[in-house]
Amino acid sequence: MADYSNKLYYQLEQETGIQTGYTRTGSIFLAQTQDRLISLKRINAGLNVIGIPSEIISPKKVAELHHLLNVHDLVGAMHVPEDAVVSSADVALALASAASQNGVQIYDRTSVLHVMVKKGQVTGVETDKGQIECQYFVNCAGQWAYELGLSNEEPVSIPLHACEHFYLLTRPLETPLQSSTPTIVDADGRIYIRNWQGGILSGGFEKNPKPIFTEGKNQLEIQNLQEDWDHFEPLLSSLLRRMPELETLEIMKLVNCPETFTPDMRCIMGESPAVQGYFVLAGMNSAGLSFGGGAGKYLAEWMVHGYPSENVWELDLKRFGALQSSRTFLRHRVMEVMPLMYDLKVPRWDFQTGRQLRTSPLYDRLDAQGARWMEKHGFERPKYFVPPDKDLLALEQSKTFYKPDWFDIVESEVKCCKEAVCVIDMSSFTKFEITSTGDQALEVLQYLFSNDLDVPVGHIVHTGMLNEGGGYENDCSIARLNKRSFFMISPTDQQVHCWAWLKKHMPKDSNLLLEDVTWKYTALNLIGPRAVDVLSELSYAPMTPDHFPSLFCKEMSVGYANGIRVMSMTHTGEPGFMLYIPIEYALHVYNEVMSVGQKYGIRNAGYYALRSLRIEKFFAFWGQDINNLTTPLECGRESRVKLEKGMDFIGRDALLQQKQNGVYKRLTMSILDDHDSDLDLWPWWGEPIYRNGQYVGKTTSSAYSYSLERHVCLGFVHNFSEDTGEEQVVTADFINRGEYEIDIAGYRFQAKAKLYPVASLFTQKRRKDDMELSDLHGK
Amino acid sequence: MGRCCCRCCCPRGLWMLSAPCCDDRRMCVCPGPRRIGIPVRSSSLPLFSDAMPAPTQLFFPLIRNCELSRIYGTACYCHHKHLCCSSSYIPQSRLRYTPHPAYATFCRPKENWWQYTQGRRYASTPQKFYLTPPQVNSILKANEYSFKVPEFDGKNVSSILGFDSNQLPANAPIEDRRSAATCLQTRGMLLGVFDGHAGCACSQAVSERLFYYIAVSLLPHETLLEIENAVESGRALLPILQWHKHPNDYFSKEASKLYFNSLRTYWQELIDLNTGESTDIDVKEALINAFKRLDNDISLEAQVGDPNSFLNYLVLRVAFSGATACVAHVDGVDLHVANTGDSRAMLGVQEEDGSWSAVTLSNDHNAQNERELERLKLEHPKSEAKSVVKQDRLLGLLMPFRAFGDVKFKWSIDLQKRVIESGPDQLNDNEYTKFIPPNYHTPPYLTAEPEVTYHRLRPQDKFLVLATDGLWETMHRQDVVRIVGEYLTGMHHQQPIAVGGYKVTLGQMHGLLTERRTKMSSVFEDQNAATHLIRHAVGNNEFGTVDHERLSKMLSLPEELARMYRDDITIIVVQFNSHVVGAYQNQE
Repeated sequence: MADYSNKLYYQLEQETGIQTGYTRTGSIFLAQTQDRLISLKRINAGLNVIGIPSEIISPKKVAELHHLLNVHDLVGAMHVPEDAVVSSADVALALASAASQNGVQIYDRTSVLHVMVKKGQVTGVETDKGQIECQYFVNCAGQWAYELGLSNEEPVSIPLHACEHFYLLTRPLETPLQSSTPTIVDADGRIYIRNWQGGILSGGFEKNPKPIFTEGKNQLEIQNLQEDWDHFEPLLSSLLRRMPELETLEIMKLVNCPETFTPDMRCIMGESPAVQGYFVLAGMNSAGLSFGGGAGKYLAEWMVHGYPSENVWELDLKRFGALQSSRTFLRHRVMEVMPLMYDLKVPRWDFQTGRQLRTSPLYDRLDAQGARWMEKHGFERPKYFVPPDKDLLALEQSKTFYKPDWFDIVESEVKCCKEAVCVIDMSSFTKFEITSTGDQALEVLQYLFSNDLDVPVGHIVHTGMLNEGGGYENDCSIARLNKRSFFMISPTDQQVHCWAWLKKHMPKDSNLLLEDVTWKYTALNLIGPRAVDVLSELSYAPMTPDHFPSLFCKEMSVGYANGIRVMSMTHTGEPGFMLYIPIEYALHVYNEVMSVGQKYGIRNAGYYALRSLRIEKFFAFWGQDINNLTTPLECGRESRVKLEKGMDFIGRDALLQQKQNGVYKRLTMSILDDHDSDLDLWPWWGEPIYRNGQYVGKTTSSAYSYSLERHVCLGFVHNFSEDTGEEQVVTADFINRGEYEIDIAGYRFQAKAKLYPVASLFTQKRRKDDMELSDLHGK
Repeated sequence: MGRCCCRCCCPRGLWMLSAPCCDDRRMCVCPGPRRIGIPVRSSSLPLFSDAMPAPTQLFFPLIRNCELSRIYGTACYCHHKHLCCSSSYIPQSRLRYTPHPAYATFCRPKENWWQYTQGRRYASTPQKFYLTPPQVNSILKANEYSFKVPEFDGKNVSSILGFDSNQLPANAPIEDRRSAATCLQTRGMLLGVFDGHAGCACSQAVSERLFYYIAVSLLPHETLLEIENAVESGRALLPILQWHKHPNDYFSKEASKLYFNSLRTYWQELIDLNTGESTDIDVKEALINAFKRLDNDISLEAQVGDPNSFLNYLVLRVAFSGATACVAHVDGVDLHVANTGDSRAMLGVQEEDGSWSAVTLSNDHNAQNERELERLKLEHPKSEAKSVVKQDRLLGLLMPFRAFGDVKFKWSIDLQKRVIESGPDQLNDNEYTKFIPPNYHTPPYLTAEPEVTYHRLRPQDKFLVLATDGLWETMHRQDVVRIVGEYLTGMHHQQPIAVGGYKVTLGQMHGLLTERRTKMSSVFEDQNAATHLIRHAVGNNEFGTVDHERLSKMLSLPEELARMYRDDITIIVVQFNSHVVGAYQNQE
């Protein structure tokens, strides 16, 4: 996105003849610590493969590039020579005039009262100077976007919150700075520094931000707020430490200019789930200028074609729901997000604020047993369980790019999943029920989903909800409860998106009933070979594969509780069951499972164990590995698509064509070979994949497989033509015949690429002489 | 010999060593090693010889910068320079016991120890032993407590916003106590600090009982009748007080029945006294009556004894130890302070220009108070004029001139002897209890009767500080009020900086900001005004700012030594709601 912006601004001056202040200065990102340098190296590796020149340089080189810098405390830096600076006001003016030249009308000093909506479709805008009819409306009101969204009759919730942001302007130096002086980002010092009319402009993202306008009474004019020097003091210290010679430089002004931030540090764009034609682009987290151009391009594509040319799920408005719209939540969260801009971004980071919003009824029980939590879409999910005798590092110290401190804990949980039985609370998954009086439910679902849903009652189908291009809008499991009723399980963050998609594609006047039952059920995942024993003991029913085959769903009693939906699947490829329990029975069933399970060695496990199990079995996850631009054929899921199920479904044409032409990318599992998990940097995601020394794609997720004793990375492999760089068809042969390497922060590790999971490795037996007395203990 | 036991026993040497001295050659005595004299013989000696190696290690940092000549020179340690040198106030053990000449051998070990220390001094290299800021904070904050009064409790708008309280022990165990409670059957809130001596028994008893006596004294006749009837018929009692206690503030479970019975006798008498004519209850009178009555009950309980041997010993310990009390009763704009002894109540007043001034709402009852000297002389025959106050102490022993308990200064010699003889062995073995004060001719010499000050709150009265002498002997009242005032108003007090057209360089601005921040940092550390005050009291350097190094040293003193450098400090800071006070004013 930033790359497009850069090119756009570069051309803008030529196109419009208006000065944008575009100067190619380059920028230098400083590292004061080794960890920061690792992070820069990772970014550097990512930039290089998409064609943006950048390099890691030594402190000495930094001093050569910028003579005012104090480099004594640096361990290295990243230099991006093509970065540029522009003047935001001039860019805005240039863009506006370019738009006007193309026939766009701009109304100055006009305020929007509200957006007019009829039947869920934008029809116009009511302003203080009259109505304007329109089909599309884009809310890019920045810090006012939240209020503008709420002003609608059917409110559009745009979760963002403003924080005061300070930057300093000085008078020119004695020998004014060259206009080509590179921009400095000293993230460890929390500041940025750039040339400004021969002097400097410096600001930063402080540790203790000041959120503003929480009450919603936003300032009406863009006016700068009061300076607060005391608040700026840490940043000023940091600036003077970086450039000691500035001591004598005269201050011009401290500017306080609010910036908006979002709950996850990523901007918000896309169409509102509630109102068609209502688009949003806001919450740029103070990167408005650098991302603005690219974001605008995607949004334009979105409005014209219905979808942007890149996957932007991470920026989609629909990743949030009304639940992120509390002002208190936003206020607290942005106070965490703003410092995070310059904090070290390490794998598996969890937000600390705005937590414990949605919880399972078992939350307290699990917490008391040592659960550590992560959050998704406001829902608390256990990561792993810390045994009573074990201490983990404090939050700050646990930040690492290397082997994390919970390694052994998750290992024992994984082992227990493989050898005995574990229980994981997976209540966060989005659960919908679709029911109809006639056959409409089946008809609609057959049209919306790629797999054949006309299965006998009690069967579960893994299927994709595809778009016209055959890409996954959602990846879910659907159980046929009875002839006319289906139970759909989707990833947690699909709650808003999937609902909107279903609503949009369901016939308007049908008697189809769609209900969000996420809150009604607590989900327990019993994973492991002994899950069968636990359940049959609790239900007095045979649970062996003969009686209860895989991918089967049955309502039965567990303990005293009746009406528990038991499904023979685990989302991991391991044997076991999912229990969907009406919440009032949750505690009872959990207690029963735990007490009966004791003799089978049951223990709690968390999502990290699940993740390790899932990835080693090559289970891709929607939102991480697959998205609306990846098709089932590209990730080896031909079996989940029934092209010949006797009726059309969305995306069928695209898939048919793809089947004929072949795919241009292929989800591949790479097993790192010469990687030492104790000493080497761990893979995360976004690491470039090289095939025979050539860049072919990036990883999308990774995990350590305890059974393979190797790291496993998932990622798409492309086939770029050596001459033109054009994408070519990827065949299984192409994948299999190649030497692979994964680049982790500039260091390449050999990898084996697989298109299907490694089957044989999972039935390892423990050696007799390895057994200890402690294995006889209950866990 | 006999000036002061602490003068000659070895611990004194220690603080001489560490003395960064003031030039004043006058004896400037440290707070004594222990509050009570007798234990010197029984415990101090072995205690110090045992404990020596550790303390010396500890103390090297303290003496590092001290000139040797100074060490041998004036023996004056003064960690609160301004007070110690400028006023005649002598902080020291509240109660002093002069040992029999036979004990003079005490002095001897001093020499031995002296050499010992010298040896150590050259032998070992000075070691740094500092507490980290979080450690310091955890010590300072261990006893802090805050209470916010709900603005409208369903009955009244409260003129009190809330209070912060805290205490820092120097004695082990601490002898100070604090109490805070809301009166449920009448309006108003009670807050008090109690400084015990010769043990904590008396201050403990007073802290849990006094407010009940006050509350009962304030109750209208009908309410008293209702309560008595409820007791008589075994019905549930009306609650009288809502306590606001720190978890460390405990109530004695064993004595609770005994205490209740005494209290009940009191209200029964109040009922009997009142012959129907319902007069307005005078708060001042109620306070005085409550104080006197409680002290009387303490004395009686000790004379009567209790069949339960634990309780019997307890009531005797309560009666033979002592406590001062400084209690505030706040009801709307009416503020009464009842004081017995040398704790103090100080009102923080914000002047129109924003500056702070202190208004003292109590008088210390000690030798520095002319009126008290006068009173004592009048209460006893002329022949005793010279002996009743000696060396600024009552009968040459006791520093406060009014106190609860301390029956040694109240009972006749006969009574004392009788009670001790019939009392448990522990009492008999105790040198202190057996010892009769010199020149003891016309008891009682001591009273618990408080002096009550009334103040009508004004909007400019922002807060009230109640504190034991541990605070006042280290800090001037003006500083106390200023520090609390600035703390409570926080950052608002500091004018924001604006560049506004002046030529300021980045370096200058940076210097300015750093200075402002160091000023603020100590404020930000504390969420509790009392903690903040203690931080200053213990850690202030000569420039009036908190010095971490100093704070760390003061707090890492071993239990046995802490008392020589500071006294127990207990502070309650009550914050008033100026709007409510203002509204009261406008009503009338």
